[in-house]
Amino acid sequence: MIHQESFLEFLHDMIPETSDRTSIEPGTVGPCHVGSDALIGIKRQQTNPTRWIGDSWQAFADVLRENGIELRESIAARGTFATDAGGTAYGMPHGVVIARSAAQVSALLKAAQQYRVPVTVRGGGLITEGESVAFGGVLLDMTGMSRVLHIDTDALTVRTEGGIFWHSLAEELRRANMDYLSAPLNMTSSVGGTLGVGGIDVNSPRLGCSADQALALQVVTPTGDIVECSDTLNAELFQRVILGYGQFGVITEATLKIRPYTPLRMHYFYYDSLRSAIEDLQMLDKNDASDYSGILTIMDCAVNLLVAFDSDEREAAFKANWQARLRGHGEFGFALCIAGRYALRPWKLGEAWFLFRRKRELFPELQRAEYMRDGKMVDRTVVFSRAVWKFWGGKQMVIPDLATSSEKFVEAVERGNKVCRKYFPHYTLYLVGIKLRPEHKAHYEMSCIPPDAEDWAYGCEFEPMIGGHVYSRDHLQSFKNAIYDIGVDLGGSYYRFGGMMKGYIRRVFGDEVVDRHLAMKRRADPAMILNRDVIF
Amino acid sequence: MRTVDVIIVGASLSAAAAAKRLVDAGLETIVLERQALPRHKICSGILSPRGHRFLLENFGPLPREVLHEPVSCKGVTFHFPSMVSMPMDFFGGTTPHLHRKFSDHWAIQRSGAEVHDQTSFVGLQDNGDHVIVKARKNGEPVEYRARYVIGADGPSSPVTRAIYPDYPQSIPWFFVGQKFHEIIECPLDEQYFHFWFHPGLGHYTWSHARDGREIVGVGFKRGDNFAKKHLNVVNYLSDKHGVRLGDPLDDEGCAENFGPSLINRYVFGKGNVLVSGQAGGFLNMIGEGMSCALHSGAISGEAIVEARLRNRSVQEMYRRMIASEVRRTSDQWNPLKIAFDRPHEADFPAALMALSWRDRAKVLRDMWRFIVLYKEFKWGREIFKAAMLRPFIGGYPMKHWR
Repeated sequence: MIHQESFLEFLHDMIPETSDRTSIEPGTVGPCHVGSDALIGIKRQQTNPTRWIGDSWQAFADVLRENGIELRESIAARGTFATDAGGTAYGMPHGVVIARSAAQVSALLKAAQQYRVPVTVRGGGLITEGESVAFGGVLLDMTGMSRVLHIDTDALTVRTEGGIFWHSLAEELRRANMDYLSAPLNMTSSVGGTLGVGGIDVNSPRLGCSADQALALQVVTPTGDIVECSDTLNAELFQRVILGYGQFGVITEATLKIRPYTPLRMHYFYYDSLRSAIEDLQMLDKNDASDYSGILTIMDCAVNLLVAFDSDEREAAFKANWQARLRGHGEFGFALCIAGRYALRPWKLGEAWFLFRRKRELFPELQRAEYMRDGKMVDRTVVFSRAVWKFWGGKQMVIPDLATSSEKFVEAVERGNKVCRKYFPHYTLYLVGIKLRPEHKAHYEMSCIPPDAEDWAYGCEFEPMIGGHVYSRDHLQSFKNAIYDIGVDLGGSYYRFGGMMKGYIRRVFGDEVVDRHLAMKRRADPAMILNRDVIF
Repeated sequence: MRTVDVIIVGASLSAAAAAKRLVDAGLETIVLERQALPRHKICSGILSPRGHRFLLENFGPLPREVLHEPVSCKGVTFHFPSMVSMPMDFFGGTTPHLHRKFSDHWAIQRSGAEVHDQTSFVGLQDNGDHVIVKARKNGEPVEYRARYVIGADGPSSPVTRAIYPDYPQSIPWFFVGQKFHEIIECPLDEQYFHFWFHPGLGHYTWSHARDGREIVGVGFKRGDNFAKKHLNVVNYLSDKHGVRLGDPLDDEGCAENFGPSLINRYVFGKGNVLVSGQAGGFLNMIGEGMSCALHSGAISGEAIVEARLRNRSVQEMYRRMIASEVRRTSDQWNPLKIAFDRPHEADFPAALMALSWRDRAKVLRDMWRFIVLYKEFKWGREIFKAAMLRPFIGGYPMKHWR
């Protein structure tokens, strides 16, 4: 029987709804009255958060201003941060603070703890599921802390502020004839954001992910303490902040490994089979046959395995030992294969025309004269960040991905490819290996690194080419869920810009691991204010 | 006069979904509802798993108070005149049996929008850069000025009628009514929603358990006699299924726009006015309108946010974004999709194949006889044309939408 009066009281108590008053403890899964067999496999969590109404906002804002922190509350200032690169989640903060120093961030977080105001931290805003979109509360824009503090060319390290974009860091390093080791493919992401998530590059098969390059961090904890940490100093905090989805602190400074700059020589091999290309990629990675490797595709029709080298010696060794073992074709040979394939399938001429147009647009961009000297690519930062995103990205980044162990990778990609075909006429895949570092095992727990991966993990991004089309959020989300469900099925993880998602974290890692991290989070962030609703 | 970003007419699930998207994006949104909230709503309350997931992800786990007894439904059972029955479980498990009075109120409160109940929509005037909405609250006229208006006010939508006065005459209307009976003996499994493909009973005949009573419902072309139709069904259930029911304790009914989803004649509004949910014509094949109402409502909210962000026409954005929901809904009525795909949330082809050859033939024959019942509406040719076009254009033609 329905107890109407008690329910009316229940509704009354619920209004106005605030995140502080929700009956469900953040990070936990609420009760399900429908039945234990409802929505099998899907945790009963609200993943599109309820807007924080802001009962304590004014008192909080007054405290910030008393502390000399500039708080922007105009609609224009807040509207700038209404969405992220994914463009499917929209939210408005009550106010925006641009990060200026660790001390300022510390004061902000201390006040936020006191008034229980959610703080959403944003770097480049390249996440795709609303992780850095503020559903009320304060948005902390880290791009105000974007200076390179010190480059040590002897120790091969750089100390930089966390809000700097990777392309700005690369530019500064280049002046000292230095280069970063591994940066995310989209270089308008921030260093701090990347370290909290992962970051993969075509040299990740050899050097690991971007987060693996961090040697030390300055972190402002959710309670406002400014702490220096590394694998030897405050190691537990370091392990949680690295690949920690921004749950355990704000990265205000980072010390990263760097190396002397070298131009690259690129080679491309073309396949008409994803499986063959992946097997060859894994063979190269396993044998350390190249300095850089990855796969970029035009749907599953033209699969491009790219390899690159820092030195002539490495390139010569590759040519002598490994090139002949690759099953890919050169450009001319592949063109003949493609012509033969479509001659036998005239009903697929539309697809052939699309491939031709893509080739004509894209190939010159990867070899523009201003970035090439003597056949070598002198600026991979520009080529990858500019050309790749110009031709693969769009205004709306819809890039679900999967990360699995080497053994499961072919199946994951083939299943994901079928999902792409079902949802979109045109898409691209980006596949890359990630060298795992045994000494970083503690960093990898509950991260984008699949729990069962040994030596290498492999990631594949599935990116529909949206172009000028407009799709509903539901259509895009259904596509992403179909990809993510493959990860759950295979026991994989997600190597996403925003890392793991709240709706999937318990399905992927299980309750024991998640509850352990949730307990740590509660200790570190008693009011659960920092990057709320990202994973907890 | 109150000036806001968006006025939503209706306080249903579609309105809640639209309001959620708008409030999240920081738009000042007011929901107008004719009745005092929480208000009664005629509905089976059997939500599809897709709708359940939407509610869960956007509003949180469902409180016990928003569910009827039994709290869940395992699937649908089709019954045929040849006395073959086909139970089909929903993909993904059981699904909620919503108490619409409380579930709608819960969702609208969770959306964060400001709600003005006991406020009846009277009319609107679209002035290009804003819309004046006229309403009555407690008998007194009240006006709002909004940039956009969303009509989420059900099948007999006053908003739709305000912008398309000829709409009610352009489609056939049906009446669906249900009566609540005391149960003396009911062998029908209470974990299932029961539907009869029986041309002699009505265009839409169903039964399911709720709060210790048995609902017996029937839908038919407007103008027929509800009491007579209903009694016919009760007698049939007694004769053929051994269902013994007491006299009805309560009854209710409403008008339904049953056809737009079948023949791709949706209504999405014009100018600064969007129409969503069943007002726009969304209805799934087993008559469940809540999941498409939730999604179309959300899309109407998203379209407004996107239109503002991209400085584009809201109609253009809405129509391009709603195409995916049109596909999902109209696919459920598309015979080619039914035969070769799985557009529903329960596996009809698998249930059919589980029958003997003889029973399969009976089922197909009975279904055909049932479909012939709809012959007078002349939908067959349009359904066939849409089904043939679907693989080539990847959807359903927008030119048929209003």
